[in-house]
Amino acid sequence: MAEAALAIDALVTGYDRRDVLTGISLDLPDGALVTVVGPNGHGKTTLLRAISGLLPTRRGSIRLFGRKLAGLAPHQVAAAGIVHVPQGDLLFPQMSVHENLLMGAYLENDQAVIRRRLEEVEALLPKLAERRDQLASSLSGGERRMVGIGRGLMMGGRVMLIDEPSLGLAPIIIEQVYEVIARLKASGRTILLVEENPARVADLADAIHLLDNGRIVWSGPPHDLLERDELLETYLGG
Amino acid sequence: MSRADRGHLVFGLIVLAALAALPFVADSRYVLGQVILALFYAIVASQWNLLFGFAGVFSLGQMALFAFGGYATAMLGFYLDWSMWVAMPVAAVGTVLFSLVIGLACLRLAGAYVALLTLAVAQVMYLLIVTDTDCFVMQGATCRQFTGGAVGFARFGDLGTRAIFKGDYVVANYAIVAALFLLTMGFTWAVIRSPLGLAFQALRDNPGCAVARGINRFSTQLLVFGASAFFTGLAGGLYAAHFQAIGPGVLSLSTLMFIIAIAVVGGIGKLWGPLVGAVILVLADEALREVGGDYRTLGLGLIIAAAMVLMPKGVIGLVESMVARLRPASGRAAEFVKSGT
Amino acid sequence: MEILGPVLVAGITTGALYALATIGLSLVWGALGMLNMAHGALLTIGGYAAFTLATLMGAPWPVAVLAPVVVGALIGAVIYLLVAQPLLARAPRSFETNVIIATFGVAMALENAVLLIFGGQPFGQSIALTGHLQAGGIFIPWQNVLIVAVVLVLMAGTAFFLARTRAGRAIRATAQHREAAQLLGVPVGRVYLQVLALSGGIAGTCGLLVSSITQLSPTLGADPMLKAFIMCVVAGLGNLPGAIGAAFVLALIEAFASYALGARWGFPLLLAIVILVLIWRPDGLFGRAAVRRL
Repeated sequence: MAEAALAIDALVTGYDRRDVLTGISLDLPDGALVTVVGPNGHGKTTLLRAISGLLPTRRGSIRLFGRKLAGLAPHQVAAAGIVHVPQGDLLFPQMSVHENLLMGAYLENDQAVIRRRLEEVEALLPKLAERRDQLASSLSGGERRMVGIGRGLMMGGRVMLIDEPSLGLAPIIIEQVYEVIARLKASGRTILLVEENPARVADLADAIHLLDNGRIVWSGPPHDLLERDELLETYLGG
Repeated sequence: MSRADRGHLVFGLIVLAALAALPFVADSRYVLGQVILALFYAIVASQWNLLFGFAGVFSLGQMALFAFGGYATAMLGFYLDWSMWVAMPVAAVGTVLFSLVIGLACLRLAGAYVALLTLAVAQVMYLLIVTDTDCFVMQGATCRQFTGGAVGFARFGDLGTRAIFKGDYVVANYAIVAALFLLTMGFTWAVIRSPLGLAFQALRDNPGCAVARGINRFSTQLLVFGASAFFTGLAGGLYAAHFQAIGPGVLSLSTLMFIIAIAVVGGIGKLWGPLVGAVILVLADEALREVGGDYRTLGLGLIIAAAMVLMPKGVIGLVESMVARLRPASGRAAEFVKSGT
Repeated sequence: MEILGPVLVAGITTGALYALATIGLSLVWGALGMLNMAHGALLTIGGYAAFTLATLMGAPWPVAVLAPVVVGALIGAVIYLLVAQPLLARAPRSFETNVIIATFGVAMALENAVLLIFGGQPFGQSIALTGHLQAGGIFIPWQNVLIVAVVLVLMAGTAFFLARTRAGRAIRATAQHREAAQLLGVPVGRVYLQVLALSGGIAGTCGLLVSSITQLSPTLGADPMLKAFIMCVVAGLGNLPGAIGAAFVLALIEAFASYALGARWGFPLLLAIVILVLIWRPDGLFGRAAVRRL
């Protein structure tokens, strides 16, 4: 196994007085795509929010290439190289597509680098070039998802966290989104992906973790999970 | 009777005993006068607290309601020679109507909008009174404006206590003001523990959820706004009758601020917070007067900002959390004190 | 025409001043969801800061003109650090109301401090142009021309800053989606600090301009602030272009009402119009349900 890009060890976090995650450990090897699946409301998004510093780490540790992330503010985590593409995109509605992308490169001061990244992103997601001056609030669901991913790519970070990229989209659009993710993986990016349906990532993920009730209850290759009917039945409702 | 109610009642009885004992302990007329003032402030602050702390209505127009009650009482006495005892309740009902007009105009809006509009209403009322220069009646050789102008009204009647009790009339007035205070607190308590009061608290804690469960935010808030206006207006009338004078000064921002400071220092959303706050701030005001009256407003402003930042739940909230920390084992006692104030 | 002219000049001048006051208020509301009740006190202090340098210390006017900007920005920053930041950190859900009360206290303290230092008697602001321009039978004082010009330049500058610069874009991003901005590496606390300093600097300048056509007094900023608030409300809080438009329209209405009905009826009429508009459209003329946008 390659060196872990992101190493999470015995992570405990939650909201108010309640712990939502009660001891999560997982490794994201450099260049791999690892998926966390599980029923809604059991802590998948919470895990990504804790990595990004939006939620405090109560116990345990999070390391990015050996550097401790726990305790950093969200903007410091971003500067350390974590790209978080949040659930529901969270675009800036009153900004154009172009401005949203520029915000992705907020931490980059070199105009040449920003221009190069813009070219790359628009090559990968040609729709964004067409919609460049349109307000984000006027886009369709699929276009918004692409802007969300494109904005994340503009950050140039090493590790991407992508939260339910299929949420709320039509099946044909979901296919397009996963094509993009597959190309990201092929280009060597390290990705931690949250998904509800393990079948969607069966051919894409290097490993899959089943999260239930704040704990990882099963880990292994995706095709193994799909053969375990009893697991699918219990945790994912068949 | 719930534990919270028992706590409120015990505290209320202590307050009642203290109020009854005070005239025998404090024989200085000055002290009694300051206590009367503190009670007036506590009444207005308690209604602001009911609105903001319980019903979630952020009104900065409370002094406009107070002034309306005071002016209406004074004008009924001045122009129509009404007895203060008739004028005060009529003025209080008038204040309710006035508050309903303001409420209909402002309460449909969200928090910050309500604050700005009610503040603007009070400010407009102030400006219209102080810039009033048209003669309405001649009083001897001097011209008297309908609203009393920048000077206000005086000598429009009194509570009748002077004629009966002679030199001790202040004690009688004190008893009347204290009675109104207790009545107001009783009303506030009743509102808080009524189904309506529970609805308010649901609204305050989670506006979306309460609306979804069928509570009409607007009409609920309008109702409590009107009800609290009655006591605020009545207090304004009694204020005018006690001091036998009323002027636009009650509408000044510093008076409004004093009321808010009382509620904040005492503890927003705590039943007895306004009384505790009034006692503390009137004492602080006295102390600042000793140091130099010039620093009064400066000190008050800093007290409000500091209290809001450092102890957002006020003195009562502070005491509660201290008690809770001191006696972690005796949960029941801590709970009792917590609910008691 | 000879009556309409001066009313028009007065209306446009006060409209420009209100518009400038609304910029600072809208920025702060848009970014933080904070009504800064101390904004009026910042206007006052701006006026006195210029007065202190120009009249009391005899500084040359370019220095004196910068004083309100610097002092306003500093006080704005201090308000964020000492008041807004702790309130935001401790109870984000009740921040909207708590900060109104707290800054209300700050406003009274600042205003009173000015009163204690300078006394209550009014002063004339010495930094002002004299003379007037005559155009089509209307006399327009040069100072009024200057005020409108300065306001236009400041508005254009603010608009450019928000639309075209990295820092300005970060402010808008924070206003539109705080969490998303954080995830992209925007240090939100520093953005808030910048917004309050910027708003304070604009307020200070506004105070200098207001005092140049009226007089310096400790309550100088209270009236423009309340009216500016009302204009923000009618446009929908946080709607910057809407507030600026509302400022000019309402100032003209106020000027004509004051002329036709007497000065004391200007503000009441203004308020009545605003309340009617809000009954018709509770989120403001141009507002949406979520109006906290820049």
